[in-house]
Amino acid sequence: MNIALLLAYGIINTLFVLLVSPLFISLIKKVKAYAQGRRGPSLLQTYRNLAKLLKKETVYSQNSSWIMRATPIINLAALLVASLFVPLIYLPEPTDLVGNIILFLYLLALAKFFMALAGLDAGSSFGGMGSSREMAISALIEPIIMLVFASLAFAYKTVSIPDMFRGALANNVFDPVAVLVAVSLFIVIVVESSRVPVDNPETHLELTMIHEAMILEQSGKNLAMMELSSAMKQLLLMGVLLNILVPWGLTTDFSPVSLAVALAVFLLKAVILAVVIGLFESCAAKSRFFRLPGLFAIALFLAVVTLIIEVFA
Amino acid sequence: MIETLFSLSLIVLLIAATISLLGTKTSYSKIARRISLVLATTASIFMLAFAAEILLTDGNYSVLAYQITPTFQFSFMVDRLAAFFLSIISIVSVAVSIYSIPYVEHEEHEDRKNLIVGLMCFFILSMLLVIASFSMFSFLFFWEIMALSSFLLVMTDFEKKETQKAGIFYFVMTHLSTLFLFFAFLFIYLQTGTFDIAAIRADPLVTSIAFGFLFLGFGIKAGIIPFHKWLPYAHPASPSNISALMSGVMIKVAIYGLVRFLFLLPLQTWWGILILAMGTLSAVLGVIYAIKEHDIKRLLAYHSIENIGIILIGVGLYVIFTVEGFQSIGMLALLGGLFHTLNHAIFKSLLFMTSGSIVNATGTRNIEEMGGLIKRMPKTAMLFLIGAVSISALPPFNGFISELMIFQTFFQSSVLSNSFLELLLLLALAVFALTSALAAACFVKAFGVTFLALPRSHEAKAAKESPKLMIIGSAILAGLCVVLGIFSSQIFGLLGFSIAVPNMLFIGVILAGFYGLIFLAMREIANRNERVTETWGCGYPMQNSKMEYTASGFSEPIVTILKGIFRTQKTSERSFHDDKKSVFKEGKAEIHLLKFFEERLYLPVANAVKKIAEKVNSMQRGDVDLHVAYGFVMIVILLLIIWWFA
Repeated sequence: MNIALLLAYGIINTLFVLLVSPLFISLIKKVKAYAQGRRGPSLLQTYRNLAKLLKKETVYSQNSSWIMRATPIINLAALLVASLFVPLIYLPEPTDLVGNIILFLYLLALAKFFMALAGLDAGSSFGGMGSSREMAISALIEPIIMLVFASLAFAYKTVSIPDMFRGALANNVFDPVAVLVAVSLFIVIVVESSRVPVDNPETHLELTMIHEAMILEQSGKNLAMMELSSAMKQLLLMGVLLNILVPWGLTTDFSPVSLAVALAVFLLKAVILAVVIGLFESCAAKSRFFRLPGLFAIALFLAVVTLIIEVFA
Repeated sequence: MIETLFSLSLIVLLIAATISLLGTKTSYSKIARRISLVLATTASIFMLAFAAEILLTDGNYSVLAYQITPTFQFSFMVDRLAAFFLSIISIVSVAVSIYSIPYVEHEEHEDRKNLIVGLMCFFILSMLLVIASFSMFSFLFFWEIMALSSFLLVMTDFEKKETQKAGIFYFVMTHLSTLFLFFAFLFIYLQTGTFDIAAIRADPLVTSIAFGFLFLGFGIKAGIIPFHKWLPYAHPASPSNISALMSGVMIKVAIYGLVRFLFLLPLQTWWGILILAMGTLSAVLGVIYAIKEHDIKRLLAYHSIENIGIILIGVGLYVIFTVEGFQSIGMLALLGGLFHTLNHAIFKSLLFMTSGSIVNATGTRNIEEMGGLIKRMPKTAMLFLIGAVSISALPPFNGFISELMIFQTFFQSSVLSNSFLELLLLLALAVFALTSALAAACFVKAFGVTFLALPRSHEAKAAKESPKLMIIGSAILAGLCVVLGIFSSQIFGLLGFSIAVPNMLFIGVILAGFYGLIFLAMREIANRNERVTETWGCGYPMQNSKMEYTASGFSEPIVTILKGIFRTQKTSERSFHDDKKSVFKEGKAEIHLLKFFEERLYLPVANAVKKIAEKVNSMQRGDVDLHVAYGFVMIVILLLIIWWFA
């Protein structure tokens, strides 16, 4: 195993996720705006927001503790580590240092755990409401995520995400299982990145908000870190879906040309997926909170069907 | 040399127990119980050294201590498995003994302080001896001492109604457990003619019957659902250091027993399915009941049921994979289960000890009356948080690694040739995933409501940090949560297991590295100005604790979604002044939570027993003549039986 190459992979992948993820937040907003007949914000708007937040002072509640201060950093750090687990453009040689799919999931869970604690820290009802709903939803989606990942582990006989991508890349045709998995993963992305019909990232109305309520007390640089980490999480989950369903474009060759091509191909794939997410959000209506288990049941059903096909095939 | 450590440890524990008990009601009582706790700590360290030596060298140590007759002998043997459980007991005992030095002083009754310490030493001693037992006779003997000493400890506050109920529940359940073990051992004895644990080899039906009794006996003691009811009663009623020992260690002794016999008996697939099914059920129902619980210690007790379930999932998977011929996958599951046993012992004892500190500081167990404790008890808060993060299986802490090992076993179930077994495993996987996520939700609630935001009562407002030794005792365990997580793959390597777990040292280092990097980067690029002000309350001034989200509010969504399991019944009656039902007069609304197992399983059985007892009672009128007549009839019947068979 070439250490230098692995290090290069780590730096490239992390930087890519860090720098590109805000783009897709704006892109989805733009798609939704077009669907509603508006022009929408510029594609750079999320970057501008982040830059502006960094320039603002940070306001803390007098009730809050060090949890409030540590949470944004823990979130961003966990997401940075997680971005080592999902190769987006360059697929490194097999390594057991990074890539374990369960560890990936639980790094996201670590971020969420602290985010929910910070929601309770200021003593505001909004934060508590957001934390409570977020934890309820994430508990319900967890079995589905695990079943989806189990069906991936079954299909590719590995628990490592890069090895799964390698397996998918070795298949030259569309894997029917991958299509079914992709549908479940799509629902997982919608849920985990707090989108309609589960949550509405655009409003600050207490009836609809979950994620936004939870981070309501965050401000300044802390809010910037929280926003950035949710953008990163969305891109990473998109990356898992894309590189399982359409892995072509991932390169195993570490040279400037092939990296540039891989980058362009990934951006294209991700743009298409972001457009699909935006259109899906525009077509769906925000669901009542207690109707959500119905949506999850669809995803669960698909995951179970996938597994039954795999088990009996 | 190493053998003497074992005996020395036991002797020191016995001396510790005696010193404390002799010191009761004398003017030396305080110094006596302190000496005995220090001795208990020393004894536990000796035992730990002994166990570590055997673990590392894969040694074997056996001794025949005493024999009544050749069949009834106290013989001890410590192999790797036993040494592993001995080390669990001794690690927790070290921490609990240190913690107890200031903790027992909180006990209201002066004369009970020494009693608690003395019995605690006996309790630890009996647990160590159960694990070390080689013959079934000594196993059962010390098992019973363990049950009795813990029962007496549960009854510390015997005046309270709540404690009496807990005590009766515990006493009955623990003896049911002993009864089933007794059946199992007698059955094995009748089949093999020896009380030697290693001698069990028989045909499938015979071993299955033996397994059935053993599983019931150990299951009741471990607190699997539906035999769990004693746990949520006994843990809150007993002093917190005792809860830490009972929940952290004692229920693990039952796991030891189960695993020990599984090693000896020729395995069958359906055993694995049974263990897996009961484990999954206990895990998910345990956490679901924990979610709606607001008594901090009862919440932790339900989590013990959940974690015992997780351990049993690992054990069940071990049986299934081993029988199906995949020894290495089975080994991964078993190691996952056993590692979770160790981890749970550590973080659950930590959580019980820190919650004991909180209960002492606030005078209540209800988390709805706490809040804001992170500012008043910062060290305790930090320690509780480490426990909460570990039990929620978050990386890089220890609970994560053991759950990861079990998840990875599940992910390999495609090797099984039996498709239905595979689907069963996947069902269990989904439920296990739900359990794990609900546990995180529950601990966000437990930590958030207890420690964050504003205090919800005057007692919480006036709370003070605990004494230093209570912090140190808990800190030992908190440190282990981190060490066992970070160095997990190195530890497995040291013990000679090649397990494919991610290198958490690497993950931990880059996680910390990124944390530092972000912290420094933010100081450079972001605005450093900070302002501390009120929480935004929609323009209303003077935000107070009444406006905070409560624990009930926090768990409401999950409780509503899972209302089928809670069997919540909401009834409301309304009356109106007019017949168009527009002017409200008065109303009544009720929420009734059905205690399913208690109302549908325990009470019917208890009532049936009571009825039979009443029937029998009517035969016993205290009349001497009548009893002599009974005796006479009995002798005649016995003679007839002997005559018939002869």
